[in-house]
Amino acid sequence: MNLSWRYGDEARRDDAAAWVVRLEAGSLGETEAAAFDAWLSAAPGNASAFDAALAVSQAYAAAGPVVAHQLSQRRAVPLRHELRRRAIVGFGAAAAAAALAVVIAPELTGPATDTYVTAKGERRTVRLQDGSTIDLNGGTRLAVALARDGRYVTLSEGQAVFDVAHAARRPFYVAAGDRTVRVVGTQFDVRRLAGKVSVTVARGAVEVRPAAGAAGKTYRLHPGQRLDHQEGAPSVQVATAAPDEVLAWRTGRLVYRGQPLSEVIADLNQQYATPIRIEDTALAATPVSGVLVLDSQDAVIRRLALLVPIHAVRSGPGLVLKRDPA
Amino acid sequence: MSLLAETGAQRPTDPLLEIYLERRGNLVRYFAARCGSPGVAEDLAQELYVKIATRDTTVTADNPVALIYRIANNVMLDRARGEARSLARDAAWRRVTHATVGDEDVAELAPADEAVASRQRLRQLVEAAGDLPPRQQHAFRLHKLEGKSHAETARVMGISVKSVEKHVSAALKALTVRLGR
Repeated sequence: MNLSWRYGDEARRDDAAAWVVRLEAGSLGETEAAAFDAWLSAAPGNASAFDAALAVSQAYAAAGPVVAHQLSQRRAVPLRHELRRRAIVGFGAAAAAAALAVVIAPELTGPATDTYVTAKGERRTVRLQDGSTIDLNGGTRLAVALARDGRYVTLSEGQAVFDVAHAARRPFYVAAGDRTVRVVGTQFDVRRLAGKVSVTVARGAVEVRPAAGAAGKTYRLHPGQRLDHQEGAPSVQVATAAPDEVLAWRTGRLVYRGQPLSEVIADLNQQYATPIRIEDTALAATPVSGVLVLDSQDAVIRRLALLVPIHAVRSGPGLVLKRDPA
Repeated sequence: MSLLAETGAQRPTDPLLEIYLERRGNLVRYFAARCGSPGVAEDLAQELYVKIATRDTTVTADNPVALIYRIANNVMLDRARGEARSLARDAAWRRVTHATVGDEDVAELAPADEAVASRQRLRQLVEAAGDLPPRQQHAFRLHKLEGKSHAETARVMGISVKSVEKHVSAALKALTVRLGR
Protein backbone atom coordinates (compact mmCIF):
# COMPACT_ATOMS: atom_id res chain seq x y z
CA MET A 1 0.00 0.00 0.00
CA ASN A 2 1.07 3.54 -0.74
CA LEU A 3 2.73 5.20 2.21
CA SER A 4 4.90 7.83 0.50
CA TRP A 5 5.45 11.31 1.93
CA ARG A 6 2.99 12.75 -0.57
CA TYR A 7 0.23 10.69 0.94
CA GLY A 8 -2.93 12.68 0.27
CA ASP A 9 -6.69 12.17 0.25
CA GLU A 10 -6.67 10.53 -3.16
CA ALA A 11 -4.14 7.86 -2.19
CA ARG A 12 -5.83 7.46 1.18
CA ARG A 13 -9.14 6.68 -0.51
CA ASP A 14 -7.43 4.24 -2.86
CA ASP A 15 -5.92 2.38 0.07
CA ALA A 16 -9.09 2.46 2.16
CA ALA A 17 -11.12 0.89 -0.66
CA ALA A 18 -8.37 -1.65 -1.37
CA TRP A 19 -8.21 -2.73 2.29
CA VAL A 20 -11.99 -3.10 2.51
CA VAL A 21 -12.07 -5.21 -0.65
CA ARG A 22 -9.11 -7.27 0.53
CA LEU A 23 -10.60 -7.89 4.00
CA GLU A 24 -14.04 -8.77 2.73
CA ALA A 25 -12.50 -11.46 0.56
CA GLY A 26 -10.84 -13.31 3.47
CA SER A 27 -8.85 -13.11 6.67
CA LEU A 28 -5.37 -11.63 6.51
CA GLY A 29 -2.20 -13.50 7.34
CA GLU A 30 -0.23 -12.15 10.31
CA THR A 31 2.16 -10.01 8.31
CA GLU A 32 -0.55 -8.50 6.18
CA ALA A 33 -2.74 -7.95 9.25
CA ALA A 34 0.09 -6.10 10.96
CA ALA A 35 0.48 -3.95 7.82
CA PHE A 36 -3.25 -3.22 7.85
CA ASP A 37 -3.08 -2.24 11.50
CA ALA A 38 -0.08 -0.01 10.85
CA TRP A 39 -1.84 1.70 7.96
CA LEU A 40 -4.93 2.42 10.07
CA SER A 41 -2.79 4.09 12.73
CA ALA A 42 -0.33 5.78 10.35
CA ALA A 43 -2.39 8.92 9.74
CA PRO A 44 -5.41 10.36 11.50
CA GLY A 45 -7.58 10.30 8.38
CA ASN A 46 -6.97 6.66 7.49
CA ALA A 47 -9.39 5.07 9.93
CA SER A 48 -12.26 7.36 8.92
CA ALA A 49 -11.53 6.80 5.21
CA PHE A 50 -11.70 3.06 5.92
CA ASP A 51 -14.98 3.48 7.82
CA ALA A 52 -16.51 5.45 4.95
CA ALA A 53 -15.56 2.84 2.35
CA LEU A 54 -16.74 0.00 4.59
CA ALA A 55 -20.11 1.67 5.19
CA VAL A 56 -20.68 2.07 1.44
CA SER A 57 -19.60 -1.49 0.76
CA GLN A 58 -21.96 -2.85 3.40
CA ALA A 59 -24.84 -0.72 2.15
CA TYR A 60 -24.44 -2.32 -1.28
CA ALA A 61 -24.09 -5.78 0.19
CA ALA A 62 -27.33 -5.35 2.14
CA ALA A 63 -29.29 -4.11 -0.87
CA GLY A 64 -27.42 -6.29 -3.41
CA PRO A 65 -30.22 -8.07 -5.28
CA VAL A 66 -32.48 -5.01 -5.40
CA VAL A 67 -29.71 -2.78 -6.71
CA ALA A 68 -28.73 -5.44 -9.25
CA HIS A 69 -32.31 -5.72 -10.43
CA GLN A 70 -32.83 -1.98 -10.77
CA LEU A 71 -29.46 -1.57 -12.48
CA SER A 72 -30.46 -4.14 -15.06
CA GLN A 73 -33.69 -2.28 -15.76
CA ARG A 74 -31.75 0.94 -16.26
CA ARG A 75 -29.62 -0.53 -18.96
CA ALA A 76 -31.92 -2.77 -20.94
CA VAL A 77 -30.89 -2.45 -24.57
CA PRO A 78 -33.73 -3.24 -27.01
CA LEU A 79 -31.42 -4.03 -29.92
CA ARG A 80 -29.83 -6.96 -28.21
CA HIS A 81 -32.78 -8.56 -26.56
CA GLU A 82 -33.26 -11.30 -29.17
CA LEU A 83 -29.76 -12.49 -28.48
CA ARG A 84 -30.26 -12.43 -24.74
CA ARG A 85 -33.50 -14.30 -24.90
CA ARG A 86 -31.74 -17.12 -26.70
CA ALA A 87 -29.00 -17.14 -24.09
CA ILE A 88 -31.60 -17.75 -21.41
CA VAL A 89 -33.24 -20.60 -23.24
CA GLY A 90 -29.81 -22.17 -23.46
CA PHE A 91 -29.41 -22.02 -19.70
CA GLY A 92 -32.62 -23.94 -19.11
CA ALA A 93 -33.80 -24.41 -15.58
CA ALA A 94 -30.45 -23.80 -13.93
CA ALA A 95 -30.38 -21.29 -11.12
CA ALA A 96 -27.76 -19.44 -13.12
CA ALA A 97 -30.52 -18.30 -15.43
CA ALA A 98 -31.84 -16.07 -12.67
CA ALA A 99 -28.73 -13.94 -12.89
CA LEU A 100 -29.13 -13.59 -16.62
CA ALA A 101 -32.86 -13.15 -16.53
CA VAL A 102 -32.68 -9.74 -14.92
CA VAL A 103 -30.85 -8.39 -17.94
CA ILE A 104 -34.08 -8.49 -19.88
CA ALA A 105 -36.48 -5.62 -19.34
CA PRO A 106 -39.92 -7.06 -18.54
CA GLU A 107 -41.73 -4.76 -20.94
CA LEU A 108 -39.78 -6.22 -23.83
CA THR A 109 -40.22 -9.90 -23.29
CA GLY A 110 -42.35 -10.53 -20.22
CA PRO A 111 -40.67 -12.08 -17.22
CA ALA A 112 -38.52 -15.16 -17.74
CA THR A 113 -39.78 -18.26 -15.98
CA ASP A 114 -37.34 -20.46 -14.12
CA THR A 115 -38.32 -23.97 -13.18
CA TYR A 116 -36.80 -25.74 -10.19
CA VAL A 117 -37.10 -29.46 -9.65
CA THR A 118 -35.79 -31.62 -6.81
CA ALA A 119 -35.40 -35.39 -6.88
CA LYS A 120 -36.82 -37.57 -4.10
CA GLY A 121 -34.91 -36.89 -0.91
CA GLU A 122 -33.07 -33.90 -2.38
CA ARG A 123 -33.43 -30.57 -0.62
CA ARG A 124 -32.42 -27.36 -2.25
CA THR A 125 -32.41 -23.65 -1.46
CA VAL A 126 -33.07 -21.18 -4.26
CA ARG A 127 -32.31 -17.49 -3.84
CA LEU A 128 -34.41 -15.27 -6.05
CA GLN A 129 -33.32 -11.95 -7.48
CA ASP A 130 -35.79 -10.06 -5.29
CA GLY A 131 -34.06 -11.31 -2.14
CA SER A 132 -36.63 -14.00 -1.37
CA THR A 133 -35.52 -17.57 -0.75
CA ILE A 134 -37.32 -20.82 -1.39
CA ASP A 135 -36.38 -24.07 0.34
CA LEU A 136 -37.58 -26.98 -1.76
CA ASN A 137 -38.30 -30.32 -0.14
CA GLY A 138 -37.68 -33.56 -2.06
CA GLY A 139 -39.87 -34.44 -5.03
CA THR A 140 -40.88 -30.84 -5.65
CA ARG A 141 -41.44 -28.93 -8.86
CA LEU A 142 -42.09 -25.22 -9.00
CA ALA A 143 -41.80 -22.38 -11.48
CA VAL A 144 -40.88 -18.77 -10.69
CA ALA A 145 -41.54 -15.64 -12.74
CA LEU A 146 -40.48 -12.28 -11.34
CA ALA A 147 -42.45 -9.55 -13.05
CA ARG A 148 -42.57 -5.87 -12.32
CA ASP A 149 -46.09 -5.92 -10.92
CA GLY A 150 -45.73 -9.12 -8.95
CA ARG A 151 -43.78 -12.27 -8.23
CA TYR A 152 -45.44 -15.47 -9.41
CA VAL A 153 -44.69 -19.00 -8.27
CA THR A 154 -46.51 -22.13 -9.33
CA LEU A 155 -46.08 -25.13 -7.07
CA SER A 156 -47.00 -28.11 -9.24
CA GLU A 157 -46.06 -30.73 -6.70
CA GLY A 158 -44.28 -31.13 -3.40
CA GLN A 159 -43.48 -28.79 -0.55
CA ALA A 160 -41.52 -25.58 -0.09
CA VAL A 161 -40.87 -22.91 2.50
CA PHE A 162 -41.02 -19.38 1.14
CA ASP A 163 -39.12 -16.60 2.83
CA VAL A 164 -40.44 -13.61 0.97
CA ALA A 165 -38.56 -10.30 0.78
CA HIS A 166 -40.91 -7.45 1.57
CA ALA A 167 -42.05 -5.43 -1.46
CA ALA A 168 -45.44 -3.80 -0.98
CA ARG A 169 -45.94 -3.03 -4.66
CA ARG A 170 -44.81 -6.43 -5.89
CA PRO A 171 -47.02 -9.03 -4.19
CA PHE A 172 -45.79 -12.58 -4.12
CA TYR A 173 -48.25 -15.22 -5.35
CA VAL A 174 -47.98 -18.97 -4.94
CA ALA A 175 -50.44 -21.02 -6.96
CA ALA A 176 -50.96 -24.56 -5.64
CA GLY A 177 -53.70 -26.56 -7.25
CA ASP A 178 -56.97 -24.64 -7.09
CA ARG A 179 -55.75 -22.28 -4.36
CA THR A 180 -53.59 -19.18 -4.61
CA VAL A 181 -51.56 -17.75 -1.73
CA ARG A 182 -50.92 -14.02 -1.81
CA VAL A 183 -48.29 -12.37 0.40
CA VAL A 184 -46.35 -9.18 0.75
CA GLY A 185 -43.39 -10.26 2.86
CA THR A 186 -43.40 -13.26 5.15
CA GLN A 187 -42.29 -16.81 5.76
CA PHE A 188 -44.60 -19.72 5.12
CA ASP A 189 -44.75 -23.34 4.00
CA VAL A 190 -46.86 -24.59 1.10
CA ARG A 191 -47.38 -28.24 0.35
CA ARG A 192 -49.31 -29.90 -2.47
CA LEU A 193 -49.34 -33.67 -2.31
CA ALA A 194 -51.88 -36.21 -3.47
CA GLY A 195 -54.56 -33.60 -4.16
CA LYS A 196 -54.21 -31.95 -0.79
CA VAL A 197 -52.97 -28.38 -0.33
CA SER A 198 -51.64 -27.12 3.04
CA VAL A 199 -50.36 -23.68 3.93
CA THR A 200 -48.62 -22.90 7.25
CA VAL A 201 -47.55 -19.37 8.17
CA ALA A 202 -44.45 -18.72 10.29
CA ARG A 203 -44.26 -14.95 10.00
CA GLY A 204 -46.30 -12.11 8.54
CA ALA A 205 -49.70 -12.89 7.09
CA VAL A 206 -50.91 -14.49 3.88
CA GLU A 207 -54.18 -14.73 2.02
CA VAL A 208 -55.36 -18.02 0.57
CA ARG A 209 -57.97 -17.67 -2.11
CA PRO A 210 -59.59 -20.00 -4.64
CA ALA A 211 -57.92 -19.95 -8.04
CA ALA A 212 -59.99 -18.49 -10.88
CA GLY A 213 -62.97 -20.78 -11.42
CA ALA A 214 -62.59 -22.70 -8.15
CA ALA A 215 -65.20 -22.54 -5.42
CA GLY A 216 -64.64 -21.31 -1.88
CA LYS A 217 -63.86 -18.30 0.26
CA THR A 218 -60.69 -16.30 0.86
CA TYR A 219 -58.93 -16.78 4.19
CA ARG A 220 -56.32 -14.63 5.85
CA LEU A 221 -53.79 -16.69 7.82
CA HIS A 222 -51.66 -15.42 10.68
CA PRO A 223 -48.46 -16.82 12.20
CA GLY A 224 -49.10 -20.20 13.77
CA GLN A 225 -52.09 -20.99 11.56
CA ARG A 226 -52.37 -23.76 9.07
CA LEU A 227 -54.91 -24.20 6.29
CA ASP A 228 -55.72 -27.63 4.84
CA HIS A 229 -57.73 -28.06 1.70
CA GLN A 230 -58.76 -31.02 -0.44
CA GLU A 231 -58.55 -29.96 -4.07
CA GLY A 232 -61.95 -29.72 -5.73
CA ALA A 233 -63.77 -29.25 -2.44
CA PRO A 234 -65.17 -25.78 -1.67
CA SER A 235 -64.21 -25.92 1.99
CA VAL A 236 -60.95 -25.53 3.90
CA GLN A 237 -59.94 -26.28 7.49
CA VAL A 238 -57.97 -23.74 9.46
CA ALA A 239 -56.21 -24.93 12.61
CA THR A 240 -53.38 -23.79 14.82
CA ALA A 241 -49.97 -25.27 14.02
CA ALA A 242 -46.44 -24.89 15.33
CA PRO A 243 -44.56 -23.41 12.37
CA ASP A 244 -41.21 -24.61 13.67
CA GLU A 245 -42.52 -28.17 13.53
CA VAL A 246 -44.03 -27.79 10.08
CA LEU A 247 -40.81 -26.23 8.78
CA ALA A 248 -38.57 -28.81 10.47
CA TRP A 249 -38.19 -30.85 7.28
CA ARG A 250 -35.55 -28.35 6.22
CA THR A 251 -33.29 -29.75 8.92
CA GLY A 252 -34.11 -33.34 8.10
CA ARG A 253 -36.87 -33.93 10.66
CA LEU A 254 -40.60 -34.48 10.33
CA VAL A 255 -42.73 -33.51 13.32
CA TYR A 256 -46.30 -34.78 13.75
CA ARG A 257 -49.03 -34.09 16.25
CA GLY A 258 -51.94 -36.31 15.45
CA GLN A 259 -51.72 -36.17 11.64
CA PRO A 260 -53.08 -39.27 9.88
CA LEU A 261 -50.57 -41.94 8.92
CA SER A 262 -51.46 -41.34 5.24
CA GLU A 263 -49.96 -37.85 5.53
CA VAL A 264 -46.77 -39.23 7.06
CA ILE A 265 -46.51 -41.69 4.20
CA ALA A 266 -47.04 -38.90 1.64
CA ASP A 267 -44.16 -37.00 3.29
CA LEU A 268 -41.88 -40.05 3.29
CA ASN A 269 -42.64 -40.68 -0.37
CA GLN A 270 -41.12 -37.27 -1.13
CA GLN A 271 -37.89 -38.45 0.47
CA TYR A 272 -37.23 -41.97 -0.78
CA ALA A 273 -37.26 -43.57 -4.20
CA THR A 274 -39.04 -46.73 -2.97
CA PRO A 275 -42.75 -45.85 -2.73
CA ILE A 276 -44.72 -46.79 0.38
CA ARG A 277 -48.44 -47.61 0.22
CA ILE A 278 -51.16 -48.35 2.74
CA GLU A 279 -54.13 -50.36 1.58
CA ASP A 280 -55.91 -50.56 4.92
CA THR A 281 -57.95 -47.30 5.05
CA ALA A 282 -58.54 -47.52 8.80
CA LEU A 283 -54.81 -47.84 9.33
CA ALA A 284 -54.20 -44.88 6.98
CA ALA A 285 -56.36 -42.70 9.23
CA THR A 286 -54.47 -43.63 12.42
CA PRO A 287 -53.15 -40.45 14.07
CA VAL A 288 -49.37 -40.16 14.43
CA SER A 289 -47.51 -38.04 17.00
CA GLY A 290 -43.72 -37.90 17.16
CA VAL A 291 -40.53 -36.82 15.47
CA LEU A 292 -39.00 -38.74 12.58
CA VAL A 293 -35.36 -38.10 11.77
CA LEU A 294 -34.83 -38.63 8.07
CA ASP A 295 -31.90 -40.91 7.39
CA SER A 296 -32.33 -44.30 5.68
CA GLN A 297 -35.80 -45.44 4.68
CA ASP A 298 -35.45 -48.70 6.62
CA ALA A 299 -34.45 -46.86 9.79
CA VAL A 300 -37.32 -44.37 9.41
CA ILE A 301 -39.87 -47.16 9.01
CA ARG A 302 -38.43 -48.94 12.06
CA ARG A 303 -38.86 -45.76 14.08
CA LEU A 304 -42.33 -45.17 12.67
CA ALA A 305 -43.22 -48.68 13.85
CA LEU A 306 -42.50 -47.52 17.40
CA LEU A 307 -45.22 -44.86 17.04
CA VAL A 308 -47.85 -46.90 15.17
CA PRO A 309 -48.31 -50.70 15.23
CA ILE A 310 -47.14 -51.39 11.68
CA HIS A 311 -44.64 -53.39 9.70
CA ALA A 312 -43.53 -53.10 6.07
CA VAL A 313 -43.93 -55.83 3.48
CA ARG A 314 -42.15 -55.71 0.13
CA SER A 315 -44.61 -55.73 -2.76
CA GLY A 316 -43.56 -55.24 -6.39
CA PRO A 317 -41.39 -52.12 -6.68
CA GLY A 318 -42.50 -50.70 -3.34
CA LEU A 319 -43.42 -51.35 0.27
CA VAL A 320 -46.85 -51.87 1.78
CA LEU A 321 -47.47 -50.95 5.41
CA LYS A 322 -49.60 -53.48 7.30
CA ARG A 323 -51.08 -53.43 10.74
CA ASP A 324 -49.28 -55.66 13.26
CA PRO A 325 -51.32 -58.69 14.26
CA ALA A 326 -53.06 -57.97 17.55
CA MET B 1 -22.94 -5.19 25.76
CA SER B 2 -20.74 -5.44 28.78
CA LEU B 3 -17.14 -4.36 28.65
CA LEU B 4 -16.59 -5.24 32.26
CA ALA B 5 -13.15 -6.68 31.83
CA GLU B 6 -11.91 -3.55 30.13
CA THR B 7 -13.51 -0.90 32.26
CA GLY B 8 -12.58 -2.56 35.54
CA ALA B 9 -10.51 -0.67 38.09
CA GLN B 10 -7.42 -2.76 37.49
CA ARG B 11 -5.16 -1.71 34.64
CA PRO B 12 -3.80 -4.73 32.83
CA THR B 13 -0.11 -5.31 33.25
CA ASP B 14 0.18 -7.79 30.41
CA PRO B 15 1.95 -6.04 27.50
CA LEU B 16 -0.21 -7.86 24.97
CA LEU B 17 -3.32 -6.53 26.69
CA GLU B 18 -1.85 -3.03 26.59
CA ILE B 19 -1.35 -3.39 22.86
CA TYR B 20 -4.86 -4.77 22.47
CA LEU B 21 -6.36 -1.75 24.24
CA GLU B 22 -4.33 0.61 22.08
CA ARG B 23 -5.45 -1.16 18.92
CA ARG B 24 -8.99 -1.97 19.87
CA GLY B 25 -10.50 0.43 17.30
CA ASN B 26 -8.43 -1.13 14.54
CA LEU B 27 -9.42 -4.63 15.58
CA VAL B 28 -13.11 -3.73 15.62
CA ARG B 29 -12.68 -2.42 12.07
CA TYR B 30 -10.96 -5.65 11.07
CA PHE B 31 -13.82 -7.72 12.48
CA ALA B 32 -16.47 -5.42 10.99
CA ALA B 33 -15.05 -5.80 7.49
CA ARG B 34 -14.68 -9.56 7.88
CA CYS B 35 -18.13 -10.20 9.38
CA GLY B 36 -20.23 -7.45 7.83
CA SER B 37 -21.81 -6.41 11.12
CA PRO B 38 -20.71 -3.79 13.67
CA GLY B 39 -22.56 -5.58 16.48
CA VAL B 40 -20.81 -8.88 15.83
CA ALA B 41 -17.51 -6.99 15.54
CA GLU B 42 -17.92 -5.59 19.06
CA ASP B 43 -18.73 -9.06 20.40
CA LEU B 44 -15.67 -10.52 18.72
CA ALA B 45 -13.43 -7.77 20.07
CA GLN B 46 -14.72 -8.59 23.55
CA GLU B 47 -14.10 -12.28 23.01
CA LEU B 48 -10.62 -11.53 21.75
CA TYR B 49 -9.88 -9.64 24.96
CA VAL B 50 -10.88 -12.66 27.01
CA LYS B 51 -8.78 -14.96 24.82
CA ILE B 52 -5.72 -12.73 25.24
CA ALA B 53 -6.26 -12.32 28.98
CA THR B 54 -6.54 -16.06 29.53
CA ARG B 55 -3.86 -17.22 27.10
CA ASP B 56 -0.75 -19.17 27.99
CA THR B 57 1.61 -16.27 28.76
CA THR B 58 4.74 -18.36 28.30
CA VAL B 59 4.12 -18.13 24.57
CA THR B 60 5.72 -14.92 23.30
CA ALA B 61 5.93 -13.44 19.86
CA ASP B 62 8.43 -11.29 17.99
CA ASN B 63 5.61 -9.21 16.63
CA PRO B 64 2.87 -8.82 19.23
CA VAL B 65 0.50 -7.04 16.83
CA ALA B 66 0.71 -9.95 14.41
CA LEU B 67 0.07 -12.33 17.29
CA ILE B 68 -3.07 -10.43 18.28
CA TYR B 69 -4.40 -10.66 14.73
CA ARG B 70 -3.58 -14.36 14.66
CA ILE B 71 -5.69 -14.84 17.80
CA ALA B 72 -8.35 -12.60 16.22
CA ASN B 73 -8.55 -14.94 13.21
CA ASN B 74 -8.96 -17.90 15.58
CA VAL B 75 -11.75 -16.14 17.45
CA MET B 76 -13.60 -15.68 14.13
CA LEU B 77 -13.01 -19.31 13.17
CA ASP B 78 -14.34 -20.54 16.53
CA ARG B 79 -17.41 -18.43 16.15
CA ALA B 80 -18.04 -19.57 12.58
CA ARG B 81 -17.75 -23.22 13.68
CA GLY B 82 -20.11 -22.66 16.61
CA GLU B 83 -22.62 -20.95 14.35
CA ALA B 84 -22.48 -23.68 11.75
CA ARG B 85 -23.14 -26.27 14.47
CA SER B 86 -26.09 -24.54 16.06
CA LEU B 87 -27.51 -23.57 12.67
CA ALA B 88 -27.43 -27.15 11.50
CA ARG B 89 -28.99 -28.23 14.78
CA ASP B 90 -31.98 -25.99 14.65
CA ALA B 91 -32.11 -23.67 11.69
CA ALA B 92 -35.88 -23.75 11.43
CA TRP B 93 -36.39 -23.03 15.08
CA ARG B 94 -34.06 -20.05 15.05
CA ARG B 95 -35.70 -18.51 12.04
CA VAL B 96 -39.15 -18.98 13.39
CA THR B 97 -38.55 -17.62 16.87
CA HIS B 98 -36.75 -14.70 15.39
CA ALA B 99 -39.62 -14.03 13.07
CA THR B 100 -42.49 -14.28 15.49
CA VAL B 101 -41.16 -11.66 17.89
CA GLY B 102 -43.35 -9.15 16.13
CA ASP B 103 -46.78 -10.39 15.30
CA GLU B 104 -47.96 -9.48 11.85
CA ASP B 105 -47.25 -7.63 8.65
CA VAL B 106 -47.15 -4.47 10.64
CA ALA B 107 -44.01 -5.50 12.45
CA GLU B 108 -42.17 -5.85 9.17
CA LEU B 109 -43.30 -2.61 7.61
CA ALA B 110 -40.97 0.31 8.11
CA PRO B 111 -42.69 3.55 9.14
CA ALA B 112 -43.67 5.64 6.12
CA ASP B 113 -40.92 8.26 6.43
CA GLU B 114 -38.29 5.57 6.91
CA ALA B 115 -39.60 3.79 3.83
CA VAL B 116 -39.29 7.00 1.81
CA ALA B 117 -35.78 7.60 3.12
CA SER B 118 -34.73 4.06 2.29
CA ARG B 119 -36.24 4.34 -1.19
CA GLN B 120 -34.25 7.51 -1.76
CA ARG B 121 -31.15 5.84 -0.43
CA LEU B 122 -31.73 2.89 -2.71
CA ARG B 123 -32.10 5.20 -5.71
CA GLN B 124 -28.80 6.84 -4.83
CA LEU B 125 -27.11 3.45 -4.62
CA VAL B 126 -28.52 2.40 -7.99
CA GLU B 127 -27.61 5.68 -9.71
CA ALA B 128 -24.09 5.75 -8.33
CA ALA B 129 -23.45 2.14 -9.37
CA GLY B 130 -25.05 2.78 -12.77
CA ASP B 131 -22.61 5.59 -13.50
CA LEU B 132 -19.50 3.47 -12.93
CA PRO B 133 -17.37 2.66 -15.98
CA PRO B 134 -18.58 -0.60 -17.58
CA ARG B 135 -15.79 -2.95 -16.42
CA GLN B 136 -15.85 -1.63 -12.87
CA GLN B 137 -19.62 -1.85 -12.82
CA HIS B 138 -19.59 -5.42 -14.11
CA ALA B 139 -17.01 -6.57 -11.54
CA PHE B 140 -18.72 -4.71 -8.70
CA ARG B 141 -22.06 -6.13 -9.64
CA LEU B 142 -20.94 -9.74 -9.89
CA HIS B 143 -18.92 -9.62 -6.68
CA LYS B 144 -20.73 -7.20 -4.41
CA LEU B 145 -24.33 -7.36 -5.59
CA GLU B 146 -24.58 -10.97 -6.70
CA GLY B 147 -22.20 -12.32 -4.09
CA LYS B 148 -19.74 -14.10 -6.38
CA SER B 149 -16.22 -14.63 -5.06
CA HIS B 150 -13.27 -12.85 -6.65
CA ALA B 151 -12.32 -16.09 -8.41
CA GLU B 152 -15.84 -16.65 -9.81
CA THR B 153 -16.05 -13.03 -10.92
CA ALA B 154 -12.68 -13.39 -12.66
CA ARG B 155 -13.90 -16.51 -14.46
CA VAL B 156 -17.14 -14.86 -15.63
CA MET B 157 -15.32 -11.76 -16.87
CA GLY B 158 -12.38 -13.68 -18.31
CA ILE B 159 -9.82 -11.61 -16.40
CA SER B 160 -7.38 -12.28 -13.55
CA VAL B 161 -8.30 -12.23 -9.86
CA LYS B 162 -5.89 -9.30 -9.42
CA SER B 163 -7.81 -7.34 -12.06
CA VAL B 164 -11.09 -8.12 -10.32
CA GLU B 165 -9.69 -6.74 -7.05
CA LYS B 166 -8.51 -3.66 -8.91
CA HIS B 167 -11.88 -3.03 -10.57
CA VAL B 168 -13.86 -3.63 -7.37
CA SER B 169 -11.53 -1.38 -5.33
CA ALA B 170 -11.73 1.39 -7.92
CA ALA B 171 -15.52 1.05 -7.97
CA LEU B 172 -15.78 1.16 -4.20
CA LYS B 173 -13.55 4.23 -4.04
CA ALA B 174 -15.64 6.09 -6.62
CA LEU B 175 -18.89 5.11 -4.86
CA THR B 176 -17.53 6.19 -1.48
CA VAL B 177 -16.53 9.59 -2.85
CA ARG B 178 -19.92 10.07 -4.43
CA LEU B 179 -22.17 8.73 -1.67
CA GLY B 180 -20.06 10.02 1.21
CA ARG B 181 -20.90 13.61 0.40
